[in-house]
Amino acid sequence: MLARPLRGCLVACILFTAADARAQAAPPAAHEDEAFDMMNVLSHNGLHDIKDESWNAYGQFTYISSWHPSFAAPYTNANGSVNSLIPDAEHGYTGSATLFFGVRLWRGGEGYFVPEFIAELPFSQLRGIGGAIQNFELQKTGSPTGQLYRSRTYVRHTIGFGGAPTEKTSDPMQLATVVDSRRLVLTGGNFTVLDFFDRNSVTWDPRQTFLNMAFMTHASWDFPADARGYSYGAAMEFYWDDWAVRFGRMLPPQDPNSEPVDFRFWEFYGDQVELEHDHMLLGQPGAVRLLGYRNHVYSGRFADAIAAFEANPAENAADCGANLYNFGSGNAMAPDLCWVRKPNVKVGAGINLEQHVTGEIGVFFRGMYSDGQSEVDAFNSADRSLSFGSVAKGSAWHRPFDVTGVGFAMSWISQVHAQYLAMGGIDNFIGDGHLHQAGEGVVDVFYSLNLFKAIWLSADYQYLWNPGFNADRGPVNIFGARIHGEL
Amino acid sequence: MASSNADRALGFAGMVLFASTVASRASAQPQQAEGFAVDRFYTSAPGGGWFVMDDLAMRGGLGGGMAMTTDYASNPLRVAGGSQPLAVVSNQATADFGFAVTYDRWRLYLNLDAPLLNKGQNGMVGDYRFTAPSVDLGSKPDALSDVRIGLDTRLLGSPTGAFRLGASAQLLVPEGSSSDYETDGTVRAMVRALVAGDVGPIAYAGQLGVHIRPFDGSPTPGSPEGSELLYGIAAGARFPVVGDAVVVIGPEVYGETAFKAFLGSTTTGLEALLTSRVEGTRDNGAQVRVKLGTGGGIDPNFGAPEWRAVLSVEVFDHGAKAPKP
Repeated sequence: MLARPLRGCLVACILFTAADARAQAAPPAAHEDEAFDMMNVLSHNGLHDIKDESWNAYGQFTYISSWHPSFAAPYTNANGSVNSLIPDAEHGYTGSATLFFGVRLWRGGEGYFVPEFIAELPFSQLRGIGGAIQNFELQKTGSPTGQLYRSRTYVRHTIGFGGAPTEKTSDPMQLATVVDSRRLVLTGGNFTVLDFFDRNSVTWDPRQTFLNMAFMTHASWDFPADARGYSYGAAMEFYWDDWAVRFGRMLPPQDPNSEPVDFRFWEFYGDQVELEHDHMLLGQPGAVRLLGYRNHVYSGRFADAIAAFEANPAENAADCGANLYNFGSGNAMAPDLCWVRKPNVKVGAGINLEQHVTGEIGVFFRGMYSDGQSEVDAFNSADRSLSFGSVAKGSAWHRPFDVTGVGFAMSWISQVHAQYLAMGGIDNFIGDGHLHQAGEGVVDVFYSLNLFKAIWLSADYQYLWNPGFNADRGPVNIFGARIHGEL
Repeated sequence: MASSNADRALGFAGMVLFASTVASRASAQPQQAEGFAVDRFYTSAPGGGWFVMDDLAMRGGLGGGMAMTTDYASNPLRVAGGSQPLAVVSNQATADFGFAVTYDRWRLYLNLDAPLLNKGQNGMVGDYRFTAPSVDLGSKPDALSDVRIGLDTRLLGSPTGAFRLGASAQLLVPEGSSSDYETDGTVRAMVRALVAGDVGPIAYAGQLGVHIRPFDGSPTPGSPEGSELLYGIAAGARFPVVGDAVVVIGPEVYGETAFKAFLGSTTTGLEALLTSRVEGTRDNGAQVRVKLGTGGGIDPNFGAPEWRAVLSVEVFDHGAKAPKP
């Protein structure tokens, strides 16, 4: 009998090979010129210059439904812990709608405003899964009652330094224009760090590709953000032909994974630096990106929580009370991070590869190592992660707007993180009360069927094993469906 | 038997006494005042010229505008009743983002208000307990309040003529928190008749309309009292500056009064702003308008503040291609 991770790898390899053998399409573009959207319609009627824009406006809506049948679990929420994925069958969903407004403010200056609406029902109150949460749209503060919010409000200024003219197409959050291949781009305001860092043209828009969050970015990149995934900050991007270097400082949440943002940017912050090189390999484009981050945030270290509990068992998970920020565990025999939060540093580094294999197939790889000494502050519970896969479009079977893909992702936690969970501790997402430590893995395969060049209907299957990094629980079969439209 | 009747009467009297005591104690319990949408600064559509009024200058082919208006209001909600008014909302700052599409004489627009700051004082006024909002950018980094969707049209007059008559309808969809004084929590609507014109160097505009507001805070002091009559007038002198740009300087006065107590002393709000703006006047191409205003409440009820400062930046385009006749 194959061990579960090995079996998962085998499933991934079979699916990957099968997809590779039959797919003959291109990776999805950010926004197709032929797409049926408002700006293209205006342009085709001579009412808008889509090559040199003073403004643009786009929209999207996405509804994702997920379901998992019951799965095996010898224990759930043991000893008063509260973060297990519920083993009974569950249904969850997200519904989101976004408007993207962009305007040219001055020569080289652009402003963007992006209101967004979301309603959601996660599995198990978004608890029990570490790095492979089944739906990338889920937010920690979401609820079935829809909420409207500003996802982005920012200003960007580009300073050209010559080089080759580079065309920027009309896209959401990008005005069409021509820029220098050597340029400095300064951005400030309210946005998500994923708008500028760790981009990957193969998996760029998860609303058309994989549903699982493990493929949106590095699962173990604890990028600074509020509970929705957005924050305030500034970014600087310097492009020199095929090279780019980026630096950004973003604000963290006031408490781990909470919505309020701490504006003391001199004291609490998340810094990231990224180096990118774009290349041609056998005539096909590709890119390599190296990313490093350093967070200085108000958080708890696992070793400190364990030491505090061992020194004084009264400092346990059940006794955090109302004054210490905590995640609601009732386990009096477990340590808790609530007792030991203070300014801490968290660091990590990762690599992001993308390569078009033919003109119509793209492959990707991501891997990241974070120190794993302190709790998740903004993203998810993984401390180390990798993901790879392939995405293709349906040109070969005369459906060029269809998208299909298969991906494999694994994530792990550090030894001290595992020790903390094994003692019954919980973080914001995981903690079953016991732990049989293992890597959490997922295979995600999807097909997105395009209708009218503007709507995609997707079917998605995920095989998730060791949920919450716990080999005692799972595996879980997750079935998903998505309808996504772009305006 | 007599004894038993006496006991029963005594018991009944005791119950009545207990019930009346409970009732009187219950009536003495302070009631929590409900929050509502305090911000009365309903900006005109992007490209609308004035801060609140509208110049009805829509023209050309497919065009549009985007605007960001930030305003700060000091003491927009003071509730009288004690020895001195309670400033339930004492500091309020908002950023309003507007997006408009125009075609010929029509304008369709969307306005989204982002509360940046909303603070005040807790306290009692009469039998009501007021809980002040506590909102800043840190606690609510991405909040939006009521969404405003509007349609304006010019019915009579040319875009630059001496007299223009128009109509406007707006729908306000509730969003945000009523306890933070961001929204009524109910759908609202505004229907307005608009006038505007340019006579030599003088520009003017006015409005008269109805604010259909289901929220009726009565008898809570300081709260809205149902639907209202909206009114306003603006006038300014136009001075040419560089190129085709002009400066317009003049006052805007606007307010509302509840139909329930028409022009009553506590049911009428009136606010005035001294405004100035620099704007492009070309028919085609993207133009910029920068507006600055400051003023305050003349009749400071319902959200008319002690003083207000406003800054707005608009980018608008009348549209290059005129519709076919």
